[in-house]
Amino acid sequence: MAFASKSPWVIHYDGSSCNGCDIEVLATLCPGFDGERFGVINTGNPKHADIFLVTGSVNEQNIDVIKEIYDQMVEPKVVVACGICACSGGIFHDCYNVIGGIDQAIPVDVYAPGCAVRPESIIDAIVQGVAVLEEKSKALAAQKKGA
Amino acid sequence: MGKATVIPFGPQHPVLPEPLHLDLVVEDEKVIEAIPQIGFVHRGLEKLVETRDYNQFIYVAERICGICAMGHSLGYAETVESLMGVEVPKRAEYLRVIWHELSRIHSHLLWLGLAADAFGFESLFMHCWRLRERILDIFEKTTGGRVILSVVKVGGVVRDIDATMMREIVNTLDGIAGEYRTIVQTLLSDTSIKNRTVGVGYISHEEALNLSMVGPFARASNVNYDVRMFGRGAYGDLSDFQPILDTSGDCYGRVKVRCEEVLQSIDIIKELAAKIPEGDIAVPVKGSPQAGAQASNVLEQPRGECYYYARGNGTKFLERMRMRTPTSENLAGMMKALEGCDLADVNMIILTIDPCISCTER
Amino acid sequence: MEKFSQSFTNLARADLRSLVESRKEEGWRYVQTLAVNTEFGIELIYTFMLDGKMVNSVITGLAKGDTMPSITDLYLEAFVFENEIHDLFGVSFEGLAIDFGGHFYQVAQETPMTIISPEQKAAREKARKVAEAKANKQAASRASNAEFLADHPDAMAPKKSGKMASPSEESVEAKLAGMDPEKVARVKAAIAAKAKKAAQQEQQSSEASSAVSEGVSAGQDTTLDPELEAKLQGMDPEKAAKVRAAMAAKAAKQREASPEDAQATKAGE
Repeated sequence: MAFASKSPWVIHYDGSSCNGCDIEVLATLCPGFDGERFGVINTGNPKHADIFLVTGSVNEQNIDVIKEIYDQMVEPKVVVACGICACSGGIFHDCYNVIGGIDQAIPVDVYAPGCAVRPESIIDAIVQGVAVLEEKSKALAAQKKGA
Repeated sequence: MGKATVIPFGPQHPVLPEPLHLDLVVEDEKVIEAIPQIGFVHRGLEKLVETRDYNQFIYVAERICGICAMGHSLGYAETVESLMGVEVPKRAEYLRVIWHELSRIHSHLLWLGLAADAFGFESLFMHCWRLRERILDIFEKTTGGRVILSVVKVGGVVRDIDATMMREIVNTLDGIAGEYRTIVQTLLSDTSIKNRTVGVGYISHEEALNLSMVGPFARASNVNYDVRMFGRGAYGDLSDFQPILDTSGDCYGRVKVRCEEVLQSIDIIKELAAKIPEGDIAVPVKGSPQAGAQASNVLEQPRGECYYYARGNGTKFLERMRMRTPTSENLAGMMKALEGCDLADVNMIILTIDPCISCTER
Repeated sequence: MEKFSQSFTNLARADLRSLVESRKEEGWRYVQTLAVNTEFGIELIYTFMLDGKMVNSVITGLAKGDTMPSITDLYLEAFVFENEIHDLFGVSFEGLAIDFGGHFYQVAQETPMTIISPEQKAAREKARKVAEAKANKQAASRASNAEFLADHPDAMAPKKSGKMASPSEESVEAKLAGMDPEKVARVKAAIAAKAKKAAQQEQQSSEASSAVSEGVSAGQDTTLDPELEAKLQGMDPEKAAKVRAAMAAKAAKQREASPEDAQATKAGE
């Protein structure tokens, strides 16, 4: 069943980002780069979303929030770390309040570096994420058949 | 008389681009009190002055906030130049102000799109961000980056804008201005928008002064303060500068002030582009700040007045660098504006304040 | 447009409340509060602004764990900064209107801004040693200079500016006598060209200085690009004079600017 990959809905959350990557994520969905032609819609509800776009690094206060949103999403789900702060902590990696990239909190499927990440990279990352989503969805279906 | 309930708002919310948590104490659909909880974006970057020298720290200062990136790098550079007694050439000052005003236009267009999205007016959101892409194209052609520009350094600027590019910038702005006026006309004269913003989140002139509010948030309550009116740097060469004020003090007034500021910035850029002098774009800066030297600086960012403080200690690392951003000053005003409003208006009031939480928490 | 000015003043810890109260009465706007962690204790800086005049008041000598009176009853917006200073520096404020009790920011370390990292300590030590060494060196050189001048009183006489002393004619001839004839011809041509250039430069500099001091006068003979000269001949004589004056002023400014630049960079070391 590949309909998830025909129109992946995304949910976006900002960890401790400077907003640069967030506005590039929004710009990807706007007429300049038009991610919406791929069927991508930005939703606010974790239960409606397939792909979790996270920007910014992880600190004490938001590590629980990120885990919470990830747990509320329904399988199959894909996590895309947008921007170098989400991948590894970026320029702030040695700050006292930064634990590291998003992979300190949740498992990440696609890493899209950049400071700020360019909309072309985000589209590329979403397309790769969609491929991962298809694999996971097939694995889930096989598991159900076998069970 | 109902019971008071506490509704948590945020940190993840479709209308908020940034994490902000509010505990709304609600009684019968009316908000009595709003207590903010910030700290989700706190990275602790002011401590990075200890491991990055004053030239490298400008890259950290830019990344405090991606929307006001140019403003922070400019304010930081001006403060360190004031600390070390460096005088920047005139052409560099003009270039910095041109980029800063372009940054103001892009920030206001971004904000206008988000505010329209908060109303549910998604097509206006798309139009604003489409216009904004043209400004980002200018940034990319002149500096190489769309969001983080990295074009200011201590002592001047890194790149020049030649006359051809300057003409192109002015032509692009003329093109944007025409479409922008149509958009603003649609937004400000629409009855459903007026129904939702007029009288909502009202803050009077006296309250605005008591709470020391800054930026367009305060100027909508008729507080006559804008750092650009002191005429420092290239702003002193403008023929006339009057801050845009509005007496209504409600959300409609704040939207109107920001819309008009974009047109004012376009005029400023065109005037400076015509007057820009020839010359160097940077002076070499050697040595380190002296021990015990301190300097402070204010700058008008798109969201208001931003205060910078720097102190040297004789090494190439600064002793202390502090950025006090306009949103932290306006938090008390935001809490005041939220008192007594309907629960459904909370999104919009928060957006008309134009919060930039990553600036506040650094 | 109003004028902007800023200043730093010292403030005693006990005078804080009275200062803030008088500021509120006179209608000053509150700008911010910040804390600095120095080797000699924590300092607080309160800033207020009235009509373009910004005054930063510095309170020194606080330590972690001290208590200061809060100003949120007069200026509510200070609660953001006072809570932050409490969390990051450990200075508490009594009477806070909105008190988060240490949980404004949830950070893993207690009062992180008071921790001085080892790199910072090392950098400060190094800077202190370098500054000491430099001061010692300067004192030593001044002492030896004083000694030298005492022995050679005419060392401070003014020198002729600019040119290096060219070798005397006899020494040049002696050198050339031993060289290859082709080389000799080249060397002689080079010396001749150098002498011509020096003479030309002198003429130019004296003309430029006279141009700057006399102001605009038509028909000055500054060495201009021949194409430009041709253009100027064809132009309106008034305009031509203006252009010539502008070129002369630019050349003089460039010459003025270069020795100044060298001085400025030397002073900045």
